[in-house]
Amino acid sequence: MVYCIGHSIISPLGEGSQANVEAVQAGRSGLRLYHNRFADVEPFCASLFDTPQEFVPLCICSVTCALNDSQIAALPETIFILSTTKGDNLDLLTPAQAIVQHFGNPNPPVVVSNACTSGVCAQITAKRLLEAGLYKHAIVIGCDIQTRFIVSGFQAFKALSPEPCRPFSPDRQGLNLGEAAATIIYTAEPQPGGWKLVAGSIHNDANHLSAPSRTGEGAYRCLTDVMAGMQPADIDLLGVHGTATPYNDAMERTAIERAGLQDVPVSALKPFFGHTMGAAGVVETIIGMEILKHGTFVKMLSGFGGVNAAIRLTCE
Amino acid sequence: MEQLIEQLKAQIIEALNFEDMTPADINTDAPLFGEGLGLDSIDALELIMLMDREYGIKLADPKAGKAIFQSVRTMAEYIQANRTK
Amino acid sequence: MRVTHDIEITTSSVILDGQPIVVQQTGEKMLVELYRRFVGDYPKFFKMDTLSRLGFIAAELLLKQPAAGNQQPVDAVILANRSASIKNDRDYLATITEGNYYPSPALFVYTLPNIVTGEIAIRHGIQGETSFYILDTPQQLNAIIAATPFQSALAGWCECSAQDKFYAKLQTIWNN
Repeated sequence: MVYCIGHSIISPLGEGSQANVEAVQAGRSGLRLYHNRFADVEPFCASLFDTPQEFVPLCICSVTCALNDSQIAALPETIFILSTTKGDNLDLLTPAQAIVQHFGNPNPPVVVSNACTSGVCAQITAKRLLEAGLYKHAIVIGCDIQTRFIVSGFQAFKALSPEPCRPFSPDRQGLNLGEAAATIIYTAEPQPGGWKLVAGSIHNDANHLSAPSRTGEGAYRCLTDVMAGMQPADIDLLGVHGTATPYNDAMERTAIERAGLQDVPVSALKPFFGHTMGAAGVVETIIGMEILKHGTFVKMLSGFGGVNAAIRLTCE
Repeated sequence: MEQLIEQLKAQIIEALNFEDMTPADINTDAPLFGEGLGLDSIDALELIMLMDREYGIKLADPKAGKAIFQSVRTMAEYIQANRTK
Repeated sequence: MRVTHDIEITTSSVILDGQPIVVQQTGEKMLVELYRRFVGDYPKFFKMDTLSRLGFIAAELLLKQPAAGNQQPVDAVILANRSASIKNDRDYLATITEGNYYPSPALFVYTLPNIVTGEIAIRHGIQGETSFYILDTPQQLNAIIAATPFQSALAGWCECSAQDKFYAKLQTIWNN
């Protein structure tokens, strides 16, 4: 078990977790239509920063905001774990090293690149490294910036919705992309109160690289793993991936029903933030914790390569 | 038409990386998906891009591809009727 | 934790459990040669990017080895490298140059490093964990593997930084 001692979200909706939570509660969305953001790319609906951001400064800003006067970033017992899919212009390792260097941290960073599940997988990696006694604190950063590279690819995949996405709606048309940087700080030192990361699980569908499994096998296994010893009624909120693509939402529904969680309240946050890729798991975990205040929260994600991941957090 | 069919077969082999195949191995009327060539959803998207790149045909709705991609012949007929280059 | 088999693939050599496999070709052509000699029945191989071909071939050769008393199949795939999917990223970039903009879906799907773990999972029906890390050194991966719960894993370094520049060192590992 590891303990959350700080977090932050920097997104087009605002700076800091509180600003983002308030935006979500007020029903504000970062999604809008872009006509000329990238050359050749057809108009697309996404949640982007008004001023294009640079990857490393954005991550540093998010970490600084999460630390909030604490100095643990520089401690030798702290590990930085970066969750990203495309990093800084396709480079993942160099920006992670630059972030660590900025904070004067001596430990080589870990970058988790497990497609759309990265932000949840990075938290699982943090839990494992802390529980193994290798470090005392872990700073998990999730960040992706939208580029011509990414948008063109999703358009070629015919995966983008021309308007704000509608997860789990019968007439859903696909996903919207988004950008954000978010940070969660975990510590191995027991804390009074607050959120704890209790369980995590990663499973592959072993089915197809880009088409979600019809049976939701990997997601189902993740859900049953993180619910070990619990009843469905013990779960207060289930944060789904909710990309609003026809097949992924259907896959999640199948997995949720197989795990007996069909009566648990569900949150899908892509209509506010878009799909922030490497940041999604971190952003959506923070919003879940903040909106729920206390209770038990399960967050699930799935992604290209057939990978699925889930975590369970509790706060008494 | 026959010339277009042969050219299309070569383009499909190239675009979908059928390493060990020649145009003669593709039956003009056999299904492209399922039993025939066994193409999948990514291949379908790649064929949509092939029609854009080689023949200037933009297919906005991937569902429309189902009828067009029944066989090499149906694909060639569609290209013949709709090509802009 | 017990290493049962290991393989090292460079651009001109293959060493399986300490024994070299003699190859005629080098670079990407060597991977195709290995596919034809040891696999042959999985044409999807030709759709893969180099990183996936490399991991796929290494997994094929490793998982064909006897499991040394343990009968259960490998249940996790944990791989790492320094340069993510950069070689295929550049191949995809070549399809979206200005003035010649035809983004290839077949290339885009390989613009994530964890796709190689997915290819291996699909081929061998592995429904346990698949994870991909970007790290500076293989030593960092060892610490992560030691902290990861699994019964049996295919794990190691799988790198392709450019055309004909690749390196893999993979192991099968058993816990208890």
